[in-house]
Amino acid sequence: MSERPLALTLNGRPLRAEAVPDAERLLDTLRWRLGLRGTKEGCRTGDCGACTVLVDGRGTLSCLTLAHEIDGAAVVTIEGIDDDSTGTVVREAFRDAGALQCGYCTPGFVMALTGLLKERGSAVPADALLDDLGGNLCRCTGYVAIARAAELARRRLG
Amino acid sequence: MASFELLAPRTVDEASAALRSLPPGEAAVLAGGTDLLLDVDQGRATPRRVVSLRHLPWRTLDWNQGALTVGSTLPLRALETDPDLPRLLPGLYEAVRAVGSAALRSRATLGGNLGRAAPASDLIPVLLALDAEVDLVGPDGDRTESVDRFVRASRVTTLRRAELIRSVRIPEPRPSAFVWQRVRPVNDISQVSIAAAYSPSARTWRAALGGVPPRPVRLTEAEAVLLGARPPPDVVGRVAEAVGRHPALVGDRRASDEYRRRLAASLFARAVESVARRAGGPS
Amino acid sequence: MTAAARPDADEKLRGRVVFGADLEEAGMLWGVLVLSPVASGRVRSVDLREARARSGVVAIGASDVPSLVGGVTGDAERPPFPTETIAYPAQPLAAVAAPTLEEARQAARAVRLSIDPAPVVTDLDTVFPEWPGPGAGGSSRIAGHVRARKGDVDRALAGAETVVRETYRTSGIHQVALEPHACLATVRDGRWSVRTSTQSPFGVREDTASILGLPEATIDVDGAWVGGGFGGKGASLLEPYALLLAAASGRPVRLALTYREEFLLGRSTLPAVIRLETGVTDGRIVARRVRLLLDVGASLPGRDFATGYSIGFLLGPYLTPTFEVEGYAVRTHKSPFGPHRAPFAPQCAFALESHLDEVARAAGVDPVAFRAAHLWTTGATTPFGQTVGPFGLSAALEAARTRARRWRAEMPPGHGVGIGMGFWSTGTGAGGEVRVAISPRQLAIVQGEREIGSGSVAVGLGAVAALRTGLPSDRIRVDYRATSLAPFDSGVFGSRTTAVLGRAIDEALTALSAALAARLGTDGPVRLMVAGDELEAVDGTTRRPVRELLTAEERRAEGLVASGRYYGPGATIDESVVEEGTFYGYRDYTGAAHVAEVDVDRETGAVRVVRYAAFQDVGKLIDRASATAQVEGGVVMGLGTALTEEAIWTDDGRLANPGLLDYRIPTLAEIPPIEVEFLEGFEGAGPYGAKGLGEPPIIPVPATIAAAVRDACGAHLTELPLSPERVARALKLA
Repeated sequence: MSERPLALTLNGRPLRAEAVPDAERLLDTLRWRLGLRGTKEGCRTGDCGACTVLVDGRGTLSCLTLAHEIDGAAVVTIEGIDDDSTGTVVREAFRDAGALQCGYCTPGFVMALTGLLKERGSAVPADALLDDLGGNLCRCTGYVAIARAAELARRRLG
Repeated sequence: MASFELLAPRTVDEASAALRSLPPGEAAVLAGGTDLLLDVDQGRATPRRVVSLRHLPWRTLDWNQGALTVGSTLPLRALETDPDLPRLLPGLYEAVRAVGSAALRSRATLGGNLGRAAPASDLIPVLLALDAEVDLVGPDGDRTESVDRFVRASRVTTLRRAELIRSVRIPEPRPSAFVWQRVRPVNDISQVSIAAAYSPSARTWRAALGGVPPRPVRLTEAEAVLLGARPPPDVVGRVAEAVGRHPALVGDRRASDEYRRRLAASLFARAVESVARRAGGPS
Repeated sequence: MTAAARPDADEKLRGRVVFGADLEEAGMLWGVLVLSPVASGRVRSVDLREARARSGVVAIGASDVPSLVGGVTGDAERPPFPTETIAYPAQPLAAVAAPTLEEARQAARAVRLSIDPAPVVTDLDTVFPEWPGPGAGGSSRIAGHVRARKGDVDRALAGAETVVRETYRTSGIHQVALEPHACLATVRDGRWSVRTSTQSPFGVREDTASILGLPEATIDVDGAWVGGGFGGKGASLLEPYALLLAAASGRPVRLALTYREEFLLGRSTLPAVIRLETGVTDGRIVARRVRLLLDVGASLPGRDFATGYSIGFLLGPYLTPTFEVEGYAVRTHKSPFGPHRAPFAPQCAFALESHLDEVARAAGVDPVAFRAAHLWTTGATTPFGQTVGPFGLSAALEAARTRARRWRAEMPPGHGVGIGMGFWSTGTGAGGEVRVAISPRQLAIVQGEREIGSGSVAVGLGAVAALRTGLPSDRIRVDYRATSLAPFDSGVFGSRTTAVLGRAIDEALTALSAALAARLGTDGPVRLMVAGDELEAVDGTTRRPVRELLTAEERRAEGLVASGRYYGPGATIDESVVEEGTFYGYRDYTGAAHVAEVDVDRETGAVRVVRYAAFQDVGKLIDRASATAQVEGGVVMGLGTALTEEAIWTDDGRLANPGLLDYRIPTLAEIPPIEVEFLEGFEGAGPYGAKGLGEPPIIPVPATIAAAVRDACGAHLTELPLSPERVARALKLA
């Protein structure tokens, strides 16, 4: 088994993990090696977005990312969402808009929306923002409250 | 999750060597990973070694007097958000936006899409309609090939052993369009797609059909009949009907042959109308 | 603008909530199931030697089970691993556990299966191309047969002015909760413990005990937070295997499904063929014949509940003087039929509403007026002889008609507007109990359910208590206990949680008030009020801090505890109409009328939902935010059933689309604006007359979309989902 050390900045703190297998996915590094289970495992095929984290400020599907591919990067997970000012606005918007039920898709949605707002800025047209969230699935809410949260976050950042 | 060795070479030579030093099929190339890692998870690929292209300087996008060169490891999301793309190559913009979801596009690459050569690729039909070329680098040197020649069948291209796609080049801006039909608008496989473009320099049409096996195809007969940037509607209608009789339009799990034929005709007419409108607009 | 956040919102937004998939214990092994590669066959051998030879691996098969459970025998019809016959694709044949997931997967691949494949039966139309003749009920392909009759249908149809005969086909669909099934089991000192993502901890206990043959008292089920259930997590699935692996290894074992396995092993709605025949004279229904062929997969003969339960929804909430219903549960080589949200009712409503529209048109009557003329009102008699309880569907329909008129007047040419209706009988017959405990600062609701997302537990129970006591929500909390410590409840399903546990809470609070009154030395009722940091018990001019009314032992423990329970009254039907099988009575009649405006692409058949409105009969709103959220979620889930979701099987019986790319649930990009309005006042079984909302909102959706599509382009669709290809084909025929 091929393995090597991995160095990242994780939720603002430098991290070094030894003997991380070359084939290991970032999702599994976060959940099982580092015990950060706020990031969820859904489909593992890139189709649901539950595993979304920020890598260098961009929303990234951690199930399809090899941990070593992002060696040296800054990773933010839901546990560290408040380290990012946009993330805090998004989290509070989700809370205020009642945009969650079971909560399983929630960390992925919060990270994805945070990444999109950081990437495109709050002037992004509302419907473009919602289109871009099409890769995050939710089965409980019907997305209505999530769309409300996205709009609320966008306006609060603007 | 199988086990493999991950290498991240810093030069093309290192990359080629890493690919060549193992027997064929035992080393795989990693660009965005959205295809390879799924293939590994689902047992379709069992590489001993994965060669990551992340250190190669190919995350580039350059406009040079209207010609666009896209580095093969540029995430599609970066291409999608280029401010000039919608205006100069609207068909390519529409096609990139059709790929997967924004989340997938932050990792997926043009090179990966071409290398995967899926029959339902949303990018290949447009690249055909834009007369795109691939720049290839390898142990035997560099070469350039049209996308039309490069893509052969599902997962089959003319890539030689240890050869890599460096970039894709689109020679000129064209009024162009990409239309598709699927069951679900986001993150679904197209049942049929049509790309169309009009070359203002050559005054010729290009059109391609996607979503059919073995690979997206140029609609050369249709191209030959369409004359001028704004062909009359009755001509378009007749050509569309002929497109609907294309032998590649077979049925499968995704769509019956009858439905594909109907779609191909409708989408062709819509694509041509869209291009004509864009051709008539302010340059 | 913003309502108070759910009590569980902050923890969920910080990723701190532990779902079944997140469970971990020190020293745990990772479990993997070994699944049958064929849909049908005979097991010659399952050879575990190579797997077991691998370091750290535990592997079990059918022959290991008796010794693991100490020699008892479980349900002979439902062994964990089959010894002879493979009945469905991906049926578990063995299970392994290892220190890492990768090692477990390698061990699973090292299990040598010797199987003789057998012919595969997957398609209803192949089994019964025509309606089964008499005597078909004895066939081994039939898991259930129901028939009921009132009056002479043949004569009534023969004499009818107009008779319409149609066949509808609906597809298999999957719950697609984002969290797959997952659990973690430990067996120690004769105690079989499992932590699991489930809608029913007590149901898992009972089911697991039955499968393994163990006494329920030796099994403890501690529910985790649940990442969605929608009916798919209402019974045990993985728990018996995880427990067996834990017993075999002496270690905790985590067993979770990959999403692909979730599709393969999940139990949900399967395909159906519905034949409807209706006779009309002078604009009134004179007779109806309903024939249902329901694919129940590998369900066991005699254990089918779905057919008898569903067939009533094909008669629907309509006055039906003369009828004949007959249903066959047909066994095929698929995973057994299991409950989806409002099991099979959306499909029934689609067929029924579309059929009644067709009948109305054939009779020259406006379709909606036709349905309205036959619609149940409170006090009406159902086909099975029950009296309809307070029922708000007529009122909902009126509101829907008003909205539809406005939308039709406003819509661009080429669009269409349609109305669909549905009713649900909530599962309030499944009873439950709670304890309430008052301590110096808080009122706790002590119970055994888990929050699956709807809010019925985390929000609703506290809301009921708040309504009754007047206490602010920060003085009320919900406590979650494992089955060994919790009062019994049936489970979070059937839209019964708020009603049943709400009534139980009400009874418990009454008992609590009496206990406090006794301690105050007053007659009661006692009110609880906030006094600074603590709570006071108040009765007239007498008031004492709760702290002073508790014994020292009570203050150390849970506080002063009182119990309450609710077991709904029986729902008996007129058995004289039943000729065969079991039918089910209704209770707590809950109606919904929906309106949709759609745009149909005449060439591609693509349907775009422009806007949607739901009018929901709710009895009494306990918490508006979570009620609205249930309707929104149910509507969008229904849009998936209506437009994009279908399970597809290959000829050799394998599921062709076990993934979220090819099994398409709605995404954010497709949802229309959704308006939600509630109609209160038609009292349900719950506290203050509340009706459960988990399921009613999904039922009318496919019917509504079909009606709108028909209005837009004339296409009359008789198959679900209304995929673009099906719509295009129907347009060609229109």
